[in-house]
Amino acid sequence: MTSDLVFILLALLTIVPAVWVVFSPNIVHAGFALLFTLFGVAGLYAYMGADFIAVTQMMVYIGGVLVLVLFTVMMTRVPLGKRANYGLDRFVPAGVLSLAVFGLLYKSITSVDWGAGHTEAVPTVAEIGTNFMTNYIFPFEYVSLVLLAAMIGAAILIREEKFSEDEPENGETEVQS
Amino acid sequence: MELLNVNIPNWSDMGNWIPEAVLCVGFLVALIGDMVTRGKKPVVPFVISVFALVTAGSYAVAGLNNPGLAAGLPIMGDLVVVDGLAAFFRILFIFAGLATVLFAWTSEEIMGRKRENKGEFYALILMMTAAMMVMAEARDILMLFLSMEAVGLVSYVMAGYMRTSLRSTEASLKYVLFGAVSSAIMLYGLSLLYGMTGAMDFAGIRAALVSGPVNGFALLVVVVMIIAGMSYKIAAVPFHYWCPDIYEGAPTPVSAIFSVGPKAAGFALMIRFFYTTLAAGPDAAASVGIIHIINWPLLIAVISAVTMTYGNLVALRQSNVKRMLAYSSIAHVGYLLMGFLLLTPAGLQAILFYLLVYTLMNLGAFFFVVAINNHLKSEELDDYVGLGFRTPWAASMMVVFLASLTGIPPFAGFIGKFYLFTAVLDKEWFWLAILAALNSVVGLYYYFKVVKAMFFTTPLEGADTSPLKLHWLQYTVLAVLAIPTLVLGLYWGQFKDLADQAIAAMTVGF
Repeated sequence: MTSDLVFILLALLTIVPAVWVVFSPNIVHAGFALLFTLFGVAGLYAYMGADFIAVTQMMVYIGGVLVLVLFTVMMTRVPLGKRANYGLDRFVPAGVLSLAVFGLLYKSITSVDWGAGHTEAVPTVAEIGTNFMTNYIFPFEYVSLVLLAAMIGAAILIREEKFSEDEPENGETEVQS
Repeated sequence: MELLNVNIPNWSDMGNWIPEAVLCVGFLVALIGDMVTRGKKPVVPFVISVFALVTAGSYAVAGLNNPGLAAGLPIMGDLVVVDGLAAFFRILFIFAGLATVLFAWTSEEIMGRKRENKGEFYALILMMTAAMMVMAEARDILMLFLSMEAVGLVSYVMAGYMRTSLRSTEASLKYVLFGAVSSAIMLYGLSLLYGMTGAMDFAGIRAALVSGPVNGFALLVVVVMIIAGMSYKIAAVPFHYWCPDIYEGAPTPVSAIFSVGPKAAGFALMIRFFYTTLAAGPDAAASVGIIHIINWPLLIAVISAVTMTYGNLVALRQSNVKRMLAYSSIAHVGYLLMGFLLLTPAGLQAILFYLLVYTLMNLGAFFFVVAINNHLKSEELDDYVGLGFRTPWAASMMVVFLASLTGIPPFAGFIGKFYLFTAVLDKEWFWLAILAALNSVVGLYYYFKVVKAMFFTTPLEGADTSPLKLHWLQYTVLAVLAIPTLVLGLYWGQFKDLADQAIAAMTVGF
């Protein structure tokens, strides 16, 4: 009973701010609402005994991604408090599509026997570490290459433009950077 | 701590993974080479990447004779495997990567005086080639997703490579957004599949599906979600929206490898994933059961029909050659998907052989656009008028590529289509075969619009008719692509055998 109550609270903590994220006209408010959603998700992970993922969720998403989102909002100078007013022509198709997807997922999730037994929560960090160095060493090393490529890609895309010659090339729109 | 349940990685496996390892090391060395020369001598990373690709290619070709290929050689655990399918595709990717590197060297869009990051471009192509090879080798949900994201991440950067061009930047951004959405859909599907089966590796998923009661509705939802993510990679309708804009906006050598590499990798992944989990296996009866529940062939048939028809009809209206080729590549995905729904070895063999031919002819057509763009700074069909007399050799080779894309004998494209059609007719999908034949006729019209512009339309008064001289490397690469396109149309036995061998281990039953 208590554990059900904890689950309901965590679920509410996830869903209510998520609705706010979608409908808030103020992008900074939406960003802060996302904080609670991500926190709720971390709580759900902890509730299910996935301690490592819960901590990762906190550190990566709340500590890293969210801060970056807020910084990006600040740096790109989006006009605060104003947002294009979308009419029914936007809301109706989006709403219908969302409801249809929700219906499909709801039906498939409720109709499957997930076969999950309730197991005692045990610490997982050590086992994950062992697996990284044994069964999953290949993806572990592969990911480091992928991240390196991603970092180089990001550096290429944002590096300051240095024009040595001045004439613009034909057939190409120049952007001032 | 208990260590009984783990595989200690076996480093000797790496002997079967030399081509990929060479490319990964080449990626790092090319970056270092670029850094040491402070980005002023792009020839250093260029030479390093050519060397890495040639080395990897020779190891990959030598690897074809490995006797362990039939059973599959796992690499460092069970998550990736080098088998016939992977061995076939890695040669294809290395070839495409090498051709692109060589052609990019002569492209103004990449190497123009004002361009920066020339060295990184070659490094990234190496990484992309390696990532595509891993896509063809993955046999676990984790590696499936990681390798797709790896190809995606590198592609996003390469699409936005011309940073001063609005179109290129837009292409990159669109690619990221569409990629993120389709990855999310696929990942959701994969997570449901994991929940249903409790397994991450394809064989385990298969075992769970065969043994347990399968909920047809949920499995259909899952399969549709996974197909959504993979259709994005191969650009099948309705996940094709990114394709024309990105091919048009990205630098043309990049569009060339996009139109071939990730598509072929997507097909490799789809073949391995769907045929291991749903179809192929020693227990064919169970497979029929699973396939029957979700009517998988019809699902793919509809996607295939819509994709080829849409691609061809929209290609008709294009006046930009690059955009036309983008729609034509969508149409070709439709043809390829015909082989995918048949659940026969013949269908898969036809796909592999067609991908081989498609790589040659489509790279060739895109490279011709690169070569012309260097001189004319345009890809409009109107500017192609009279090219047949300004650069007769290159234009003739373009005719070979276009005729092969249409599927006219005696070019390789005809043989490729022939195998696909016979496989389809064997399983009595008559409506699909008729639709594909009609589509080929539509293709004839728009491919030959280019031929007509180049050779038969009289240039306007005062139009520039001076001869164009292409770089010798461009002639060489175009010839290397055009000659097999011709020869494979007359003598294809060995290459068909190669495709047949690649599939041999994949299909049992049916």
